[in-house]
Amino acid sequence: MNFDGRKIFIIIFIVLTSIIYSIKLLHMQVLDNTWTENAAFISETRREIIPPRGVMFDRNGIKIVSNSPYYDLRFVEKNIVDLDTAALAKLLQVHDTFIGYRFKEIVRQQGVYKGKSNYQRSREYTFIQGITKNEIARIAPELYKFPGFYEVATSMRQYPYPNAANIVGYIAEVDSADMAKDPYYKRGDYIGKAGLERFYEAELRGKKGIKYLLRNASNNTIQSYDEGRMDTVAIQGKNLTLGIDIELQAYGEQLMRNKLGCIVAIEPSSGELLAVVSSPSYDPNILVGRQNISANYPKLLRDPFLPLFPRPTQAEYPPGSIFKLVQALIGMQEGVIDENTGFPCTSSIVGCHSHAPASNVSKAVQMSCNPYFYYTTKRIIEQGFKKNIFEDAAHGLAIWEKYMNSFGLGVKLETDLYGIRPGLIPNPAFYDRWYGKNGWAFKTVRSIAIGQGEVKLTPLQMANVAAIIANRGWFYTPHVVKSIGEDGPKSEYTVKNKTLVDSIHFLPVIEGMRKVTEEAGGTGKNARIPGITVCGKTGTVENKQGKDHSVFIGFAPMEDPKIAIAVFTENAGFGGTWSAPITSLMIEFYLKREVSDKAKEQRILDAVILPQPKNK
Amino acid sequence: MRKDQNIKQQADWFLIGLYFLMVIFGIINIHSASNASFDISIFDIQHNTGKQIMWFGASLFVGLVILVVEIKILRGSVYIGYLIVLLLLVGVLFMPPINGQRSWFGAGGFGIQPAEFAKITTALVLADFISRVNIRLQTVKDVIFANLIILIPGALIMLQPDAGTLVVFTSFLFVMYREGITYDPIIVRLINTYPGVRINQTWIGSNFIPILLIVIVLSLVTLSIRETEMILPFTMVPLSGKYIIIFIISIIFILFYLVIQRIAQKRDKAKLAALGAVSGILLSLLVLGVDFAFENLKQHQKDRIELALGLLEDPHGKDYNRYRAMSAVGSGGLHGKGYHNATVASPVLNHVPEQETDFIFCTLSEEWGFVGSFGLVILFTAFLLRTITIAERQKSIFSRVYAYSVAMVIFYHFAINVGMNIGLAPVIGIPLPFFSYGGSSLLSFSVMFFILLKLDSERLNMLGND
Repeated sequence: MNFDGRKIFIIIFIVLTSIIYSIKLLHMQVLDNTWTENAAFISETRREIIPPRGVMFDRNGIKIVSNSPYYDLRFVEKNIVDLDTAALAKLLQVHDTFIGYRFKEIVRQQGVYKGKSNYQRSREYTFIQGITKNEIARIAPELYKFPGFYEVATSMRQYPYPNAANIVGYIAEVDSADMAKDPYYKRGDYIGKAGLERFYEAELRGKKGIKYLLRNASNNTIQSYDEGRMDTVAIQGKNLTLGIDIELQAYGEQLMRNKLGCIVAIEPSSGELLAVVSSPSYDPNILVGRQNISANYPKLLRDPFLPLFPRPTQAEYPPGSIFKLVQALIGMQEGVIDENTGFPCTSSIVGCHSHAPASNVSKAVQMSCNPYFYYTTKRIIEQGFKKNIFEDAAHGLAIWEKYMNSFGLGVKLETDLYGIRPGLIPNPAFYDRWYGKNGWAFKTVRSIAIGQGEVKLTPLQMANVAAIIANRGWFYTPHVVKSIGEDGPKSEYTVKNKTLVDSIHFLPVIEGMRKVTEEAGGTGKNARIPGITVCGKTGTVENKQGKDHSVFIGFAPMEDPKIAIAVFTENAGFGGTWSAPITSLMIEFYLKREVSDKAKEQRILDAVILPQPKNK
Repeated sequence: MRKDQNIKQQADWFLIGLYFLMVIFGIINIHSASNASFDISIFDIQHNTGKQIMWFGASLFVGLVILVVEIKILRGSVYIGYLIVLLLLVGVLFMPPINGQRSWFGAGGFGIQPAEFAKITTALVLADFISRVNIRLQTVKDVIFANLIILIPGALIMLQPDAGTLVVFTSFLFVMYREGITYDPIIVRLINTYPGVRINQTWIGSNFIPILLIVIVLSLVTLSIRETEMILPFTMVPLSGKYIIIFIISIIFILFYLVIQRIAQKRDKAKLAALGAVSGILLSLLVLGVDFAFENLKQHQKDRIELALGLLEDPHGKDYNRYRAMSAVGSGGLHGKGYHNATVASPVLNHVPEQETDFIFCTLSEEWGFVGSFGLVILFTAFLLRTITIAERQKSIFSRVYAYSVAMVIFYHFAINVGMNIGLAPVIGIPLPFFSYGGSSLLSFSVMFFILLKLDSERLNMLGND
């Protein structure tokens, strides 16, 4: 047999292979750009230059959040050659055994996925974090002896005041959820996790710069790529100027020490928050850096008094008697009462204390007459639009709810503090769910008249009510940040919100609030400040779990209000006893920078009002 | 004619020229792939370039010895050489492993891999066996024996384990194919019993591509393009991978039918048409069967097959080297980045592992661009076609089989090595002949080449079964 013809197949096979290879080479090298990009990705490292985070100032220009430089000691195991652990331990001033322990710890921290450790020999890990400038000056010159180890400059948050932790929040390393949400973040980056740090993350973080470098397979950069022509500069994050008065904030935290509760102070004319005290609180410096966070966060989390719980924005309390102010305003606006309407103090309907007859609105406010506001609210709810009393109540309550919402109650006040709660203003649908349609009338829901029962407000909303009354009918949404960089506040905080109550109706209420602190029979005489006309209203919130909560809202001076404030002290009893004096101290401190009544101040500072922690 | 014909006159200077071109081009690239700068002297034997030049010198010396030695001695030492290499292959299994393989003799910079030389001795013994008068590669006994010649060193190499060299040993199947080997004598016999058809006396019969090969190639093609979609020409009908192949098979058999209608004898027409139809249906069923079988595999099995076929990209896993290599090659552009200017396949940046040995093609392609890489493909194609031309002009079957062995071994190395650099072949660690850094590799390919040169220069003195 002759098989010479078979050589043709072999030749065809060879030539075909060469042709296919040539075409593929032409495609890969000349026509298609993909592999060039891949090559760039492999050989040029984009080193991200992380700019310093924006710092924060208080309303008087005092720095309250800043950055301090520090260094990380990092390593890539692949590049480590003949590590002399004893010498390294000596250099780092740690015990010999620490080096080995730390390596094991790092591997352990990376976790395990499908039976294999996530630890990679060629990846960079932080060996020691938070080395100070002085220490690195000693360590860095010696590092050449330890190939694979190198220092990286970075910065960390620093809080000159141990206050306002719940306002500024804290930053922490991004987790995988953060990275999935925003590709801006790479492993090891920091992100605001709470408070302003979180709310203004986009402004504070600035813009990363990119430096292109040639690198080799072990990720050691060799030289600048293309002479740095493509590099971009990192842009520092914007600074924030807060409306907070850090000294007032610190004073408030001091007053609230050993008490549970909060203080919210607003500048009525701008809506800027002057102080947002949540008690108990903590020093924000204890949540700086990974080690600190992992050591202290669980402690804060386990604390029975919930220091991490931002009471001013998230605690929803029944407002108690301070709610009567709003009822009076709505009643007058709806025309069901006028400023001279009087009601008898019929304590058989709803309990009251003994006081002079409430012959008009301001006196009713002054003496906080429960039956008076029972009648007022009854008139608002039962206006007789519908024949059926049930339908009439539903109609009336809907009107009432609309007014409440215009005061920012029952809706979220969209402040720049994270995790705002709306409180609760019951509407017809709410009661329909409870009692069934047409299953309830005013009598059923009467406790809302005096701010008990279903009604719930956050302390922020309470302070905002004070600000509205101080402004005689309007408010800016309360906010912490007065200016982002030089640009002023976010635009939504420059919109004036008008309530549905005309300003004329505020006058008798304000007069009543003045009487609360200044005239005999007023419930809040403890809030009186010589030389300053304080308007206020006490509240005592029935608490089924324990002692009543003490609440006070107010503003001052009456003629030209500079500060509106709400103080809520948990389990402290009567509003006039604890919250009223705290209010007056805060107002006086803010307006005069000192308090005249040292005895009053000392009484508050000494007071310990803590419930027995519940055993779990 | 005198027996010691003047080598100068008979030597194939074209092939010699190609050999020198490739080795020198190779050394130039090794210099760039191993050293950060020009400064290192190319003759410094502490460095790769100097070592490679030294090995080149050694190769030329050995080559010269081969050229002057009597052809009889060469022919007579074929089996001794085969046995020695087998012993070395056994011996190497007792050496300490390097990178998990027991394939090196010696230590430090100057090791020897017996597997490299096993290719030569196997080729020589195979040539000797096939060139015997009474051997017919269509009988079961001779086919088994011929395969044993390849399998014995192959098995020893598998024990090292050195999968790359083992794969290269399958190149001898091509050689045997050229020499008329039939792996499916039963099928041939079956077809021959079909009345009126004498398949092994027709053109189809004598150029018969083993059915096994058809099955393997068709299966691989099916797997490779099963995800591809094509619009049937002149219609709007979309075809998925398997139907594209069946469509092509149909067209081939329609053409086949038209051809036999013209050339076949009248009495064979119907039978050949039926044979064609049956083959077409069987091949289509094979395509559908492979596709169906793949569908029913577990995901990780699918992944493994797709990775091997280059259908899956896994830049950070198993395919890490290939991804890096392809990035280096692909970033070369038309003219390349310039000598010593590679950024991926650079000895300083070190992104491509083993870039001076198995991945030397990366450095070349990145620094010399398409001009360089295409030039390399042309060099190899010319070398291979020239070798086949030489093979075909031999009167001696021994010389022809040996020359084909050289062509196919080098073709395998070239196709797999370049293929893995451009993503057309799985990553198998075998060197690029004459280019890759490494003493054993250069020396063994040079010996292989010089024996070919010697045999060719003696072609007028050797007869058919000489």
